[in-house]
Amino acid sequence: MAATVAHSQQPLSPGGATSNGGGSSGGLHPLMAAAAANAAKQQQQQSQQRIDARNQEPFDLTSKKLCLADFQRVRTLGTGTFARVCLVRPSHGTEADRSKVYALKILRKTEVIKLKQIDHVRHERQILSDVSGHPFITSFQASFSDHEFLYIVLDYIPGGELFTYLRKYRRFDEDMAKFYAAEIVLVLEYLHEHQGGIAYRDMKPENLLLDADGHIKLVDFGFAKRLGNNQNDHPEETYTLCGTPEYLAPEVIHNKGHTTAVDWWALGILIYEFLTGYPPFWHSNPIEIYKQIVEKPVLFPQDPPISPEAKDIIRQFCTVDRSRRLGNISGGAARVKAHPFFRGVDWDAVMARKYKGPILPPVRYPGDAQCFDIYPEDDERREEYTDDMAERYDEYFKDF
Amino acid sequence: MSTGFTSPFGGNSNPFVRMETAGMQRVAEEDENDMITSPTTPSFGRTPASHNNGGGLFRSPFGADGASDTHMTGVGRPHLDPAGYPAQYNFGRRTSVSAESLKPPTGETYDNWTPPVHPKTAEQLQRLKEAMSGNFLFSHLDDEQTAQVLGALVEKPIPSKDIKVITQGDTGDFFYVVEKGSFDIYVSPTGKVEPGLDGAGRKVSTIGAGGSFGELALMYNAPRAATVISAEPNCTLWALDRMTFRRILMESTFARRRMYEGFLEEVPLLSSLTPYERSKIADALKSEKFPTGHTIIREGDPGDSFYLLVDGEAVALRNGDETPVKHYKKGDFFGELALLNDAPRAASVVSTTEVKVVSLGKSAFQRLLGPVESIMRRTKYVGVKTGVEEMDPLQIA
Repeated sequence: MAATVAHSQQPLSPGGATSNGGGSSGGLHPLMAAAAANAAKQQQQQSQQRIDARNQEPFDLTSKKLCLADFQRVRTLGTGTFARVCLVRPSHGTEADRSKVYALKILRKTEVIKLKQIDHVRHERQILSDVSGHPFITSFQASFSDHEFLYIVLDYIPGGELFTYLRKYRRFDEDMAKFYAAEIVLVLEYLHEHQGGIAYRDMKPENLLLDADGHIKLVDFGFAKRLGNNQNDHPEETYTLCGTPEYLAPEVIHNKGHTTAVDWWALGILIYEFLTGYPPFWHSNPIEIYKQIVEKPVLFPQDPPISPEAKDIIRQFCTVDRSRRLGNISGGAARVKAHPFFRGVDWDAVMARKYKGPILPPVRYPGDAQCFDIYPEDDERREEYTDDMAERYDEYFKDF
Repeated sequence: MSTGFTSPFGGNSNPFVRMETAGMQRVAEEDENDMITSPTTPSFGRTPASHNNGGGLFRSPFGADGASDTHMTGVGRPHLDPAGYPAQYNFGRRTSVSAESLKPPTGETYDNWTPPVHPKTAEQLQRLKEAMSGNFLFSHLDDEQTAQVLGALVEKPIPSKDIKVITQGDTGDFFYVVEKGSFDIYVSPTGKVEPGLDGAGRKVSTIGAGGSFGELALMYNAPRAATVISAEPNCTLWALDRMTFRRILMESTFARRRMYEGFLEEVPLLSSLTPYERSKIADALKSEKFPTGHTIIREGDPGDSFYLLVDGEAVALRNGDETPVKHYKKGDFFGELALLNDAPRAASVVSTTEVKVVSLGKSAFQRLLGPVESIMRRTKYVGVKTGVEEMDPLQIA
């Protein structure tokens, strides 16, 4: 298998690579580099032989030797500060194997270290595999690493971000909002109450994908943290400020130590944004957002009219005093489910995904990516991951 | 399943061209002009933010007294356009933010960190207090935290004019308070300083003594939203870095919470609480300070709160008798029966020194954990010896 790794060891060429979508650019990204290898004419024949050889090999996600060359990139689905998520398919194996698709999250070690996100990345890998299999959470398949990158293989969720639909439709009516909110309540109940107190910490429409049937999948566990809440575990509040400005809970802004209660606050913000099209606290300057969050009540616009039940549940979630915040008070998620906003919701049917979602994404086949926005395929030139860094930091990434 | 990648529709151009709307419920009416471009294009948004009385110039780390308070307020509530949409809201994807991971001291990693202390005169302290008093990042701090933060501010002389203290686009780690002199604020529309004479952009304001800038740096590392340049010689700043600030808050909060949890563990009435429940209760405790001789609870009054004595001493008095029936010191508690019933207080508790107490109302307790009775009923299952069930005559038989 070692020979095939040569693809990703192509020297990265400096300067602006242009993506032509055809897979033969002077790309800087490892997946691009792999494609570039094929383009070089004198290597083509050799490559072809190598690929033919690989095609014979079974594709095995559980293999300890899983590596980048086991995948072919289709295209980028999203980018972040130190990560990129690509739609990929197996590069070898049986025809059935090669027709599968996955989302591959690629994290650059140097950026992870520079941005002091090592702990977050480790938690993400661990928690994703712990919570895998929940109907409303994206499923973890495998992880691996190479010299410069960490990789997480996830199920591909083809419907795109709920964010995109919300902006397209500007706002959702209450039945739609209720449908999505109900699925999220079940996710939070699971994370908080059945998984040892996992705080998700980055709820927002950008992190909710729709599957082909229009159901929610929560993605990006980059800030998720297990706080512990059973009899033996000493429960711990946590102190690292993280999240998205508009969705941060007041206790996070004030560095008071925060708990799973931050997710209920964020759900209040989310329902508000579903119903109005924008969050309750916003400003072009984040400091002004934070001031509003800690000092101002949630106010509702005249238009669109919002039902008293919806206003009430939003206000109860967005309560500064955690001893009064719905979801955090006695009864936990059960109390949330009993709120009048969810009147008529059959929670078993929700969990069983009995009804299709109010938005059916235009997915034409399993690997269809048309619901995702287009992103540049090439990375800017970044700092190299040196041997010194590898020596110092690789032990932190050994779980990948 | 293998239709995959040879699809003739491979374009991926517009995700909504063939939007299936069969399952779609009513959505807000659409205005052709509103659906702009892709939300990922940099210019996504309905109105250039700069039309927003200056606010848009500051997409990030700037704020407080000097800049934000004078120029950027008044747009906090949405100004709705005729379609019910806030005109200035940026509808693009929002980026997550994160500070450095901050972990409370544990047994293994306890390193006895103490915040740095840079001595200051009483006048300097007073000025700093005033400069920071209105700031939402400091206004909620307790006395101890405030004293530590003030002590940690370090003096930074800026000897001459035209020194760049912070540069737009650079990463930011420090918050500054102006002690002496004045500083000009420049904002470049490109988000960073450009080469050339006017590269710093337009001057938007000046900050004088008592003003402050760069507060977002106390929350997380974000690019500076403006350039700050000394406007005269012999200026002085006080600087505070994010890690010191956040660590002061974390260490004191963490220590206090563990102390409360420890105290709560000693309360027999609450002995069946799980650590998780104790942690929730610790969260809801309200801190109060009383002078010597203050009656904290009064005999005969209806009881609604339970108290932990965090610092100082107090005594219990009954029937107007001046001889205390009980002495309380740090870690002791009183009034816990109020959680159980509405019976009048059986004694008065009066402070004999200055005291710091934390209290928990019955209503807060019940909101968080439900009725106390049901909590105590667990006792027999958990096998805790001191529970009320043990004393229940019905159980003795």
